Amino acid sequence: MTDDREPRVPDEERAEAGAERFGRYLDALLAGARPSPDDIGSPDEAEMAHVAAEMAAAADRAGSTPDPAFVDQLRRRIRDADQGMTSVTEPLPIRPVVSDTSVARMRVTRRQVLQTGLGAAAGLAAGVLGAGLLRGEPTPRDPIWDDGIGLVAGEGAWVPVATLAELPRGAAVPFSTAAFNGYVVNDDGEIRALSSVCTHMGCTLQYRPEWRDLRCPCHAASFNLAGKLANSRAAWQAAGGYGGDDQAYPIELPPLIRPAVKVEGEQILVWTARA
Amino acid sequence: MKGEPVPHEREAAGVLEAIYDEHVVPIYRFIHARVGNRPDAEDLTAQVFMRAVEQLDTSRDHNQVTAWLYRVSQNLIADYWRALYRLPVIGTEQVAPGWEPAAPPGRSAALAEATQDTAADRVRSLLRSLPERYAQVLELRFLQRLSVAETASRMGVSNGNAKVIQYRALRMAALLDESDD
Repeated sequence: MTDDREPRVPDEERAEAGAERFGRYLDALLAGARPSPDDIGSPDEAEMAHVAAEMAAAADRAGSTPDPAFVDQLRRRIRDADQGMTSVTEPLPIRPVVSDTSVARMRVTRRQVLQTGLGAAAGLAAGVLGAGLLRGEPTPRDPIWDDGIGLVAGEGAWVPVATLAELPRGAAVPFSTAAFNGYVVNDDGEIRALSSVCTHMGCTLQYRPEWRDLRCPCHAASFNLAGKLANSRAAWQAAGGYGGDDQAYPIELPPLIRPAVKVEGEQILVWTARA
Repeated sequence: MKGEPVPHEREAAGVLEAIYDEHVVPIYRFIHARVGNRPDAEDLTAQVFMRAVEQLDTSRDHNQVTAWLYRVSQNLIADYWRALYRLPVIGTEQVAPGWEPAAPPGRSAALAEATQDTAADRVRSLLRSLPERYAQVLELRFLQRLSVAETASRMGVSNGNAKVIQYRALRMAALLDESDD
């Protein structure tokens, strides 16, 4: 004969504690709030949460209609992002890794044309389409891109952007032309021009002399003076870190566009569209 | 032409917004039916369309665009349950880089409605298959949206007891639900 008043067995106490904790999850869910994952204690309870979420949704027809304010706000966010002007607080979108061999083919997408800026768009598109016509003219010592495709077709011109005196080893000087903005850099004696448009969302890169990179103020991508993403996961792992950052840049990005550059006397000139 | 996006590109930007306007409500419903609360449904809906800005090829035909959106939604929902509750991976496929045709074509607002009906049917049949006390506690909590205290007083038990009953009811519901799938 058992005594009803004997101390409860530990199993039962555990069950009550679990029911109490899981009850908080249900209360939040049924109040239409965001339930806390901390109230889920086991894979079994995760299954229960899953069933509860589906039941709550099925029993709540009103909740299945989005808030019009949310719909409007998201439309604005999408419009902004589509124009390459995503806010700095936005979480990083995930993009599949782009392998090096496919970069050239992917270079001019709808996004990039928009990102590259209004003035550069026509020139950039023309540069790729007219690549066959352009081989050899102009004839910069430095390839314009790695594959030597011209950035500006037709009405281009060499425009002075800096002098050699302004560009000692390790220095970078920003320039602005009718078609694009960028930096001319002196990478240990080699003069190079780099677009200052981040190939992620089109923010304007800033030169950081201490790290010798072009840094994106929006999502902290860093490009080295060869125009390649320098703080990718792979680079991060290989070097054991990067530039005092506490994490690697999470996705691969195409390299920066490299406009043609040449030196005449003391002048450094880039090949750009006529104003 | 200088100083303006080329016309084709400007159209493309409008295309994305048109896709958004057509799909945002059904996609939201699709997601809400699976996560059950508004804040998470809004977060995931935003992720679907932000990913579309990055990855969706808007020149694809209508059915393929729709299928792509549902596919991304399904993957995000799977990630949501897996990540939030540390569930093992359950048959989720990654969205391939670029384009992956698969996925059911022609899903639309009608499907979201159908999903809702199917879900409601499933709840009803689930409740019918539970012991009476369990069905009652879920009915009061989920369908009538009563608080634990109200539910407890209707059932003539203590608050603590009501919580234990609803816990056990859901555990059994999860087991039945699993065997259904």
